[in-house]
Amino acid sequence: MKVVIKYELDKDLNLHVIPDEKFKTVYISYCFHMDLDENYTYNALVPAVLKRGCEGYERQEEINKHLEGKYGSLFDVGVQKRGERQILRFTMDLVNEIYVGMDGLIAQSLYFLNRIISKPVTEGSIFKKDYVNQEKENLKHKIQAMVNDKLEYSMERCIQEMCKDEKYARYVFGSIKELDSLDQNKLYDIYRNMIAACPLDIFVAGDVDPEKISILVKNSMEIERTHRKIIPETIIKKIGVKQRELIEDMDISQAKLNIGLRTNTSVNDKGYFPLVLYTSILGGGPHSKLFMNVREKHSLAYYAFAKMDKYKGILILGSGLDTNNYRQALDIIMQQCKDISMGKITEAEFTASINAIMTSVRGINDDPEGLVDYYLGNVVTGAKYSLEDFIEEIQKVKPENVVEVSKHIKTDLIYLLKPEEAVI
Amino acid sequence: MGKTIYNEHLREELVYHRLKNGLKIYILVKPGYSRQFAIYAARYGSNDSQFVPLGAKEPIVVPDGIAHFLEHKLFEEEEGNVFQEYSGLGAQPNAFTNFNMTAYHFTSTGKFHKCLDVLLGFVGRPYFTDENVEKEKGIIAQEIGMYQDNPYWRTFSNLLKGMYHSYPVKMDIAGTVESISKIDKEILYECYRTFYNPSNMVLFLAGDIDPDRIINQVEKLFDGKPKSKAEGEIERIFPKEKKGVSKHKIVDKLAVSMPMFALGFKDRDVTQGGERLLKKIVANEIILDMLAGPSSETYNELYDEGLIDSSFDTGYTGEVNYGYSVISGQSRDPEGVASVLYEKIKELKYKPWEQEHFDRIRKKKIGEVIRLFNTLDSVSIQFVSMGFKDIALFDYLRGIETAGFEDIIKEFNQLYREDSSTLSVILSN
Repeated sequence: MKVVIKYELDKDLNLHVIPDEKFKTVYISYCFHMDLDENYTYNALVPAVLKRGCEGYERQEEINKHLEGKYGSLFDVGVQKRGERQILRFTMDLVNEIYVGMDGLIAQSLYFLNRIISKPVTEGSIFKKDYVNQEKENLKHKIQAMVNDKLEYSMERCIQEMCKDEKYARYVFGSIKELDSLDQNKLYDIYRNMIAACPLDIFVAGDVDPEKISILVKNSMEIERTHRKIIPETIIKKIGVKQRELIEDMDISQAKLNIGLRTNTSVNDKGYFPLVLYTSILGGGPHSKLFMNVREKHSLAYYAFAKMDKYKGILILGSGLDTNNYRQALDIIMQQCKDISMGKITEAEFTASINAIMTSVRGINDDPEGLVDYYLGNVVTGAKYSLEDFIEEIQKVKPENVVEVSKHIKTDLIYLLKPEEAVI
Repeated sequence: MGKTIYNEHLREELVYHRLKNGLKIYILVKPGYSRQFAIYAARYGSNDSQFVPLGAKEPIVVPDGIAHFLEHKLFEEEEGNVFQEYSGLGAQPNAFTNFNMTAYHFTSTGKFHKCLDVLLGFVGRPYFTDENVEKEKGIIAQEIGMYQDNPYWRTFSNLLKGMYHSYPVKMDIAGTVESISKIDKEILYECYRTFYNPSNMVLFLAGDIDPDRIINQVEKLFDGKPKSKAEGEIERIFPKEKKGVSKHKIVDKLAVSMPMFALGFKDRDVTQGGERLLKKIVANEIILDMLAGPSSETYNELYDEGLIDSSFDTGYTGEVNYGYSVISGQSRDPEGVASVLYEKIKELKYKPWEQEHFDRIRKKKIGEVIRLFNTLDSVSIQFVSMGFKDIALFDYLRGIETAGFEDIIKEFNQLYREDSSTLSVILSN
């Protein structure tokens, strides 16, 4: 199991190094934390504009030529939703110097990322307008493209409706309306505020020497910090939830059913590990109740799963089915939840779930990006569990703990996306 | 026990052993890894729809989608289901079928040898009944429906239908609801007997594992079993594919936010695999990057005009008997993108690339191969699929390092021609 070495470089600015000699690449990620507030569309646009160019590499073409010459270093930016915050990420994944005999690759990558983040191409005191306008269009398309993947789309719609009055309903890539009335000055101000004040975590994973990395990161730092921005915590508990049903139409051939549940349990609650287990027993793979009953026993769906968003304490039960089977599938799915809360968990289901979780968690050790995601998750939630701790905790869970946590789980929204012509 | 192959550049160790029954075993030793990955694959895909069954003289034609159907069915056992067995061991099993192979794999983080027993066990133990075959038809029909709604898949599927006249790659891997309705247990057994022979299969394992112990284990497993002897080469029959494409353009409609497109160039210079195919694959990957990769003039002009976005991608597929290049993405104007690409291709005939560009892309490709060895499942799958074309993955790196600038130019002039291209477009309805 890998250790993480943490360096506090400044207030709200930490470096986390995960040394592991088996990796052939070095994965570097600068992660800024931002509130999922009313400026979420602006937040989503900032990294896309920064990606277009910086001092020394003003055009995308120059950036790409530079990266290709470095044995195809992968550079990317992105925005992720982690509970009620957006994480703006600037990432570089490079081949370790020792495999290509090219010294200084890590240092060069750090300098490059710093330049991208802090020395954008500007016109006066705003970003270069061409870049903003193009990336605004691209982001619009990205938002519209949500409909292309029906599974993702139906899940997102379920969450949007379920959390209608909460920050969490906001789509990670922003809203088209906001983009249409974009204020270029405001965009630049939000960017300046991000680099000056928002919490920043830097991760480096690979076959590296942590001490050397900490010096390289400090020396390459061009980001000036002036004040602190506190990001509010995600609201997880919701009382007075009433079960609702929403049916929408689309030009599709297979219906998608998504059931949104409130777990009212956060990562730091004692019910968290039992909840992880609950999710696995219910719909965490071929051993699960949903898979066995909805798919195998009744052949009602090609897929049926339970997916937890630990950052918001939401559970989504998803399946793809024929509209004719909707009521029957819904009944069977709900029955599985009831069965767990009544303690109807077989030993085989329980053991298989623990084993499945352990395999996934141990597997994170083999994936630099996965390791960074896991430890970034800890920063977001304030949890302190290493991968090893996680495995230890999950093994302590008893079936009665799973039954106990299921009492806090409430059905919120039953969302069905069905073909236009189909009748229920 | 096995033969060890060490690659200095990659610092990777591979152990190889061939059993008496013809099964090839490869073990990639990866110290420090928590996961183990195993893949057991047959050289049998959806393209193999016409063949001479084992022990027979005359060829037969089987329903489209049967290789994929067979893959689904093998998971079923007389006593319950293989998934449950794996679940008890904490392993994550899965399988896939493509045009040329069927593969069963698992990821484990412990109890590896038991998991391996399960894998070799169920793949070697078909159990088909009239009832369980009928039941599967419903599940697969749902799967086919799911693909029908996927615009990326539809763009690609239509592209193949447009490029090919009769080669089976034009048919969907899962078949159609109609074609799978003709499948019964007798025909499944026939396909199984012919293609699931150890001599037509490969076992590839990766992780922090002990090669000698594995080879022993597998040897024992097959010892004295009906399949302990090697069978001869399977006679596969493929229709002779006409030169040129079947259709230059295919347009379809789906609920998409923006039109999607795939522009394919059908390769007339087909191979039987091996070194010649390796050279082609390397050459085309470099060509596509030089022509339309992120640092190319083409890419940046199209991007700046707002005609493409970061979904724009390129790739070459090189298989035994067929091959094609694809340039794909989303665009408000797919025809516009295609005409810019045709224009650039013409331009390159009198204003060729520079050596410096070629050297840079070659470096990028070397990095890609090194990176591949980080991920056990990707590297294993890649290894097996290359192996079925008689290409060793370690040779792939050598292929890139020794690729010549002149070969690239020659291959470019041969393949990238407007008259051997198909444009597949999905419009928004």
